[in-house]
Amino acid sequence: MTAMGDRILGLCLLVLAFAYGWVAQQWPEPFGGSEGLGPETFPTILATVLVVGSLYLMIKPDTDAQWPVGKSALELVISIIVLVIYALLMEPLGFIIATTLAVGTLSWRMGAPPKGAFVTGLVSAVVVFGLFNYGLSLSLPNGLLGGF
Amino acid sequence: METIGFLMDGFAVALTPYNLMFALFGAFVGTLIGCLPGLGPANGVAILIPLAFTLGLPPETAMILLTSVYAGAMYGGRISSILLNIPGDEPAMMTCLDGYPMAQNGRAADALAISAIASFAGSLIGTVGLIMLAPVLARFALTFGPAEYFALFLLAFATLGGITGKNPMKTVIAAVLGIMISTVGIDISTGTQRYTGGVLELYEGIDFILAIVGLFAISELLFFVEARMGKGRSKVKVGKLTLTFKEIVSTIPTQLRGGVLGFIAGVLPGAGASLGSFISYTLEKTVLGKKGRFGEGDIRGVVAPEAGNNGAASGALVPMLTLGVPGSGTTAVLLAMLISLNITPGPLMFTQHADIVWGVIAALLIGNVLLLVLNIPMIGVFVRLLSVPPMYLLPIVTMVAFVGIYSISHSTFDLYFMIVFGVGGYILRKLEIPMVPIILGLLLGPEMEKNLGHALILSDGDWTTLWSSPLAIGLWLVAGLGLVLPTLVGPILRRRMHSAMKEGPVSD
Repeated sequence: MTAMGDRILGLCLLVLAFAYGWVAQQWPEPFGGSEGLGPETFPTILATVLVVGSLYLMIKPDTDAQWPVGKSALELVISIIVLVIYALLMEPLGFIIATTLAVGTLSWRMGAPPKGAFVTGLVSAVVVFGLFNYGLSLSLPNGLLGGF
Repeated sequence: METIGFLMDGFAVALTPYNLMFALFGAFVGTLIGCLPGLGPANGVAILIPLAFTLGLPPETAMILLTSVYAGAMYGGRISSILLNIPGDEPAMMTCLDGYPMAQNGRAADALAISAIASFAGSLIGTVGLIMLAPVLARFALTFGPAEYFALFLLAFATLGGITGKNPMKTVIAAVLGIMISTVGIDISTGTQRYTGGVLELYEGIDFILAIVGLFAISELLFFVEARMGKGRSKVKVGKLTLTFKEIVSTIPTQLRGGVLGFIAGVLPGAGASLGSFISYTLEKTVLGKKGRFGEGDIRGVVAPEAGNNGAASGALVPMLTLGVPGSGTTAVLLAMLISLNITPGPLMFTQHADIVWGVIAALLIGNVLLLVLNIPMIGVFVRLLSVPPMYLLPIVTMVAFVGIYSISHSTFDLYFMIVFGVGGYILRKLEIPMVPIILGLLLGPEMEKNLGHALILSDGDWTTLWSSPLAIGLWLVAGLGLVLPTLVGPILRRRMHSAMKEGPVSD
């Protein structure tokens, strides 16, 4: 029963609050003086509230949640990497290929048999591509399948 | 009488074949979203926003679509409560108590049918309440000045965690984070660049749609990956419908009580649909006392919470439509749609965009009829879809989210941003920082700053203007209560809800 999670979060938020508040003080005063609200007033208030909130978190933290370790953590990292690669490859490879790979890999890693997973990926990719490009005439990237 | 005229105009908007088609589609998709595992109502509506946006739907059609989805999701939540004892969404929790025992007694079909009728009744009562209350509240809200609005926004944040919320400080932190994100970009009133770091894509600020989709959809995927809950649920047999007309009639008082209570809970800040269904179930238990067999499959134990949560769902639209201040996650997402359609939410909407407001209200009525029709004969379809394993479903949902975001701007930069929000959302949810205040902060932040600015200009920079009118003081007081009450009353209420769940013979 530790409470490190909230303490670390509190510390990060405290740093964020100071950085956010400090940056706000650096802006030049806008032309015409600061009648009423300057650009920095509202952020300064926010930073102050966040300082109070983060201090509270560090002083009275809740007990920690169960963080994923070992295999679960690895699966999580894999999923995030898959998402990033999906975004990266969407334009060069084209929507259908990228989607087949991404959806396939994700559902395979979530426990589906590989064949079923990639077939699901391909079918969903083709259906969505067809729907968007021909049904709704919103173009998704063709990529390698340029003449498709 | 004026109201009736507006409502008729609303029906004229909602009954055009084009809008009717979208209402039907929305009702169907909404029910699906409500019953499928890992796709809550807020999440489902969020994914549909970019799609509605890129399709170039006219504003009233887009709102009709999303409102139908919202109403449908409230219907759908009950299906897995009854059949599997797993609530499809949070407000459907209380439906498990008598719904699942009914299903175990071989009356699953009856439970599904009567709960559909109860949902309909609750929603109808809620919508009638909405029709009567909303114009009055909108007229009252016209008297609000910027100082009152500023206090109202604070109230919205303070009560968002709800009476049952765990740690109000975490709600505050979440809200501040959301508002902070909304300050990125060029300041509207002075033109100062704030927190852009010279990145061109940030000049116009961070698009809240991609933030919402990331926070909900991507973080949900990560949660499922972590929990390794990819396997689906076993198929469930529903059986024959044996519900008699007499039984339906006997539940009418329960439906009325549940619907009214739910509506009130929905309108009040800090209550919401979960509390609505809880209150109406508890009341029903006290009113009927020994006459009922609650917890063992009493039909009224299914009717009360369902009427309650659907009444609350319509009630929650009242503050969203009249004040522009949503009280729940899903209504916050609906507000996001309004803002991205360039409609300023608030009391003026009733005069400037009467067609949209009343079109939506009429669509809510029509949607309910459609849902009732969909839900009784087509229940088999939804039951079959219940067994679709999340390991296929969630990757596809994620892909749809990618497509939606990509098709708004055709830039992969937005996709990376969405992933960042998803990972951030996952970490924050792990730390029990709620998502909804972040989203509300993103949406209301600019309005809050604008109103603060106006209030200060009107008073020549005198900060006491913020709490100088009686109305503003009242709002500040309620906001304060909203933060203090959860720490005092919250533990007691939470324990009650918890023990009500435990009393059920089925939750082992």
